[in-house]
Amino acid sequence: MTTNLSRRPEPRVPASAPALEVRGLVKHYPGVKALDGVDLVVRRNEVLGLAGENGAGKSTLLKALVGLVRPDAGEIWVRGEKVRLGSITDAANHGIGMVFQEQSLVPNLTAAENIVLGSEGPGVRHGIYRWNTLRRLAQEQLDKIGSHIDPLARTDSLTFADRQMVEIAKVLRIEERTSHPPVIILDEPTSVLESKEIETLFTQVRRLREFASVVFVSHRLDEVLDVCDRVAVLRGGRSVGEVPAAEAAPAELHRMMIGSTGSDDHYHGAAAERRDEPRRPRLVVRGLSGRSFRDVDLDVHAGEIVGIVGVHGSGREDVCRALFGAEPTTAGDVVLDGEKLDLSGTRAACAAGVGYVPAERKTEGMVGPMSVADNMTLTKQKSRCTGPVVRPGKQAKLVDGWIERLSIRTPDRGTAIQRLSGGNQQKVVLARWLVAGDVRLLLLDHPTRGLDVGARSEVYRLLRELANQGVAMVLLADSLEEAIGMSDRIVVMSDGRATTEVAAPTGDKPTPLDLVKEMV
Amino acid sequence: MSTPVITTPAAEAAVTGRAGVGRRLTSFMPVIALVVLLAALTVADPGFLTLNSLTAAARTSAPLVVLAAGATLVVLCGGIDLSIAALCSLATVFFALWLPDAGGLTTVAVIAATAAIGAVQGVAHVLLRIPSFIVTLGGMSIFSAIALVISDAGPIRVVDRDATHWLTLYVGGVVPMAFVVALLVVVVVSLVLRLTPLESWIRATGYSESAARLAGAPVDVVKIAAFTVSGACAGLAAVMLVSRNFSGSPTMADNLLLPAVAAIVVGGTAITGGHGSLWRSLAGALVVTLLRVGLPIVGVPSAYEQILYGAIIVAAVALTLDRSKVLTIK
Amino acid sequence: MTVTSPADADLEVVHARRPRPRRGVSLRDAGPPVALVVVFGVFAALSPGFRTLSNVQNVLDAAAVLTVVTCGITFVLMMGSIDLSAPGIMGASAIAVALLVANNRNDNDFGLLGVVVAVLLGAGLGCLSGLALVTLKVPSFMTTLGISAVGLGVATLMFAGVQPNVSDRMLEGLAVERFLGLAHLTWIAFACVLVGWLVQRYSRLGRYAFAIGGAEEVLALSGVRVAPYKVAVFTMAGAFYGLAGVMVTSQLGAGLVQAGKGYDFSAIAAAVVGGTLLIGGRGGILHSAVGVLLVTVLTNGLVQIGVSPYWQGGVQGLIVVAAVAAAVIPQRRRNQVTK
Repeated sequence: MTTNLSRRPEPRVPASAPALEVRGLVKHYPGVKALDGVDLVVRRNEVLGLAGENGAGKSTLLKALVGLVRPDAGEIWVRGEKVRLGSITDAANHGIGMVFQEQSLVPNLTAAENIVLGSEGPGVRHGIYRWNTLRRLAQEQLDKIGSHIDPLARTDSLTFADRQMVEIAKVLRIEERTSHPPVIILDEPTSVLESKEIETLFTQVRRLREFASVVFVSHRLDEVLDVCDRVAVLRGGRSVGEVPAAEAAPAELHRMMIGSTGSDDHYHGAAAERRDEPRRPRLVVRGLSGRSFRDVDLDVHAGEIVGIVGVHGSGREDVCRALFGAEPTTAGDVVLDGEKLDLSGTRAACAAGVGYVPAERKTEGMVGPMSVADNMTLTKQKSRCTGPVVRPGKQAKLVDGWIERLSIRTPDRGTAIQRLSGGNQQKVVLARWLVAGDVRLLLLDHPTRGLDVGARSEVYRLLRELANQGVAMVLLADSLEEAIGMSDRIVVMSDGRATTEVAAPTGDKPTPLDLVKEMV
Repeated sequence: MSTPVITTPAAEAAVTGRAGVGRRLTSFMPVIALVVLLAALTVADPGFLTLNSLTAAARTSAPLVVLAAGATLVVLCGGIDLSIAALCSLATVFFALWLPDAGGLTTVAVIAATAAIGAVQGVAHVLLRIPSFIVTLGGMSIFSAIALVISDAGPIRVVDRDATHWLTLYVGGVVPMAFVVALLVVVVVSLVLRLTPLESWIRATGYSESAARLAGAPVDVVKIAAFTVSGACAGLAAVMLVSRNFSGSPTMADNLLLPAVAAIVVGGTAITGGHGSLWRSLAGALVVTLLRVGLPIVGVPSAYEQILYGAIIVAAVALTLDRSKVLTIK
Repeated sequence: MTVTSPADADLEVVHARRPRPRRGVSLRDAGPPVALVVVFGVFAALSPGFRTLSNVQNVLDAAAVLTVVTCGITFVLMMGSIDLSAPGIMGASAIAVALLVANNRNDNDFGLLGVVVAVLLGAGLGCLSGLALVTLKVPSFMTTLGISAVGLGVATLMFAGVQPNVSDRMLEGLAVERFLGLAHLTWIAFACVLVGWLVQRYSRLGRYAFAIGGAEEVLALSGVRVAPYKVAVFTMAGAFYGLAGVMVTSQLGAGLVQAGKGYDFSAIAAAVVGGTLLIGGRGGILHSAVGVLLVTVLTNGLVQIGVSPYWQGGVQGLIVVAAVAAAVIPQRRRNQVTK
């Protein structure tokens, strides 16, 4: 049952006004429109699910709701009253609190202190702690959610699930600031929990509904439908609709999240005329184990793009880094073109012809203040040197050639890379592995993260071209569509293991739903 | 657990011209300061701008230039070397003790020894993952202790002055040899950096160590090399000091730490790493030296020298710090 | 609904060991006290001179100044910052107090008031470090290095070439007169530890200093402004250094610019050896007090068994590097950035 949200709700009388209402929220980042006119209504005493793919604008919206991001346009109404949320304290004063995805507790304080942090009230008088009062205040909060945690336990000695309870208890402190029922936002609360703990959490969420409104964000659609009353869907920074949870199926939600598949055609089927000769795989991974993954097997042929999909915490990022020698492994063999790959460090990987494009482009992918040319030749120094000596002329020729080949838009090769747009930065990062012409395996960790549509399709074209030249690639895609569109084969990872493999040849692509079923 | 939520890169913060203005200003800062200082000193004492006093100033500055140049490499890599002065003191003791036996080879031996000591600090920093300022702070007190013990806490006279005589010569009768050597160090190290991939690697390490590592740059080797060169420079500076004082002493160079750090930051090398050069430290060292010799000329008691160093260091770091890199300042 | 499939898989996941909730001391906290007992035992076995009652008194008296300095630096370290300003601040306050009480340089005779002013001078200099840190965003090791130089400069100015000798009975008495076998200064050090412990346990300043070291960003997310607390911690540390400077003047009977030489490093050594992490968030006053005793026993014991006292600094250097390395090793990860 899809209700279209395009109509603008008229202001209502406060008595029946929704707990929280968002109208036409817009937030621009350079090159990206994170929020493009989002509308959202959170009713009183309901659990509202918020679904959307990576980059749909969920996290920006949540941050706007707790005053961490200032929207460029649009309004936020709380109980029929228009508000400006300039800080997290503002939001708390209006009864809006959030449990962050990355937990936000001070590990070395007691649970009690964390619960009252910043709003100690009578727990601290004239700068002096009154531990008994503090403990009582915290106990009251924990009682609200029926938790039996010792308030004086150090937070870092609690389990993850218990810490989450502490967070919820903490966020409920905003009740002390306002007489109205609060709005509690839970951002990806289940991503690191086990199934038993998830059940406990859901019990809490249902309990919260008795006296509060809850916004529940999760990647796992079945969970969203399980615990929520209503689900609102975001896509590309817009609200695309909402469904009552009781009547919806994950499939329907997913269709709304990704929209019509027609618009993504620019990379579908582009692999048409690739030669398809079966031979020994270029990369053979057997039983690779590390901190967050176990017994991973993986084959990648030359010219093949293998996508790895999985939810947050599936361990796929670490597998990718491990193959580049940037994450320790405990067991397993990796063979590249018949030779054992040395996983002891990044230099060995580079020397063996492995390339890696990190997800965090700004902090890990590029050296911001250095020039385009120096970034491009950072890895393959030999390509610009004669012996040990750098030849500026050689470098200039090489870099200019690649700037033209990849149509990188930059004033010149001496420009600091941080002045380029995201897409052009990413092309420079990719070019780093290509300049020497010896790359055999490319590990791509979210290569299109933060790029706009145009830049994305350019990166897609470039990757496809590289595949056609015989480079083997492992792709951690930003979205399922990207994984499906780009990959020849898709490996599904779940809880640190490669669970399933799905073939995705041109013309016979699996649907996102096929993959989702395997992922959760 | 708890990772900053606020600090997740909020935007594609495209760097615009605004940041460039500050950079451009700080890049000329040391030269401007040098010229202003010279002018001010000349006004205060018209007799200052003579060949004699300039030659004397250049000669005084030589050990400082060398010390600062070496430590600049470590700073460019994003670390700091607080042990240079103590290591330099230790090296003066080494020199005085070894001279009777090693003769002409003493200079080489001392520089090799300090280079090795620097390398050990680098290895400790890289392998044990101890912050560089702790390693070098520890080094500082260890070197001081060794120097005190082997010298029995007193100065050791250097009787044989032939070994250091060459440093007291004047090139063309005017330019002190020590200063020429200091210049040579700056020129040679700068050239080596410029002509090889080293500069790329050092800057990448300093600006963003994780990016450098993920690009396959030999971060660990580069860091150890920087500490090694820094150690070698401390040894060379020690030889220069001995050539002037005709003795080695366990505390001889201790008061050079602040001037050296001041020289680096006044030169505009960012304490956060990546941005800067040895040339800047050369200019910075000259500024500091001029301040030192100039303060008495304009009638300021030398006690203010320390206060000035303190203020200069804080101010210069504040001006050159790359704030985009440090999210929480500890 | 596509639920339930992962239930089985979930059971197989390797879980990190679950930490037991705890409130009191952990095994890790027991290390330094055990080391203290062991080191004490070893020296007692090796040296007959070490195991005398008078030597134990010596050790405690010798630890007094370092204890006070360490009380100050501990709060700074708990925040994850560093403080190298002790030598400068101590020098300034040492000269200041020598010039303010009865002395041979001027006619001042302010007695206790002079001591208070000297401590306030220390607090003021510490406050400057903190302000430079939070307003100019200069890392603390740089600001405090600068403030140390400023303090030494101020001390040199006041020194003015003539050493001020103290003739104030009260100040001289602190180092000489004894109560229960220990010098008054030692009791002052005990008092400082007590005050420091109360601040750490019961004041918002102390708890927030601890929290800043644990997760500064979380405090901001909870609506706490951390900057005032940082300045306050540096100010308090400065006050402790100021008091330490006064104590040195009392011991020497004269004000010296070099009164605080080496105390910055010794204090860091003591705090680190006691179990305070340089990245902040762990340790405390009692840890540091144990660390001070450990460092002092070690230096005293080495002298007793005939090692040159010049090695003192070297031993401290080694144990700092070793202690930091030992603390870092469990958290080592590949690709971790170390500055």
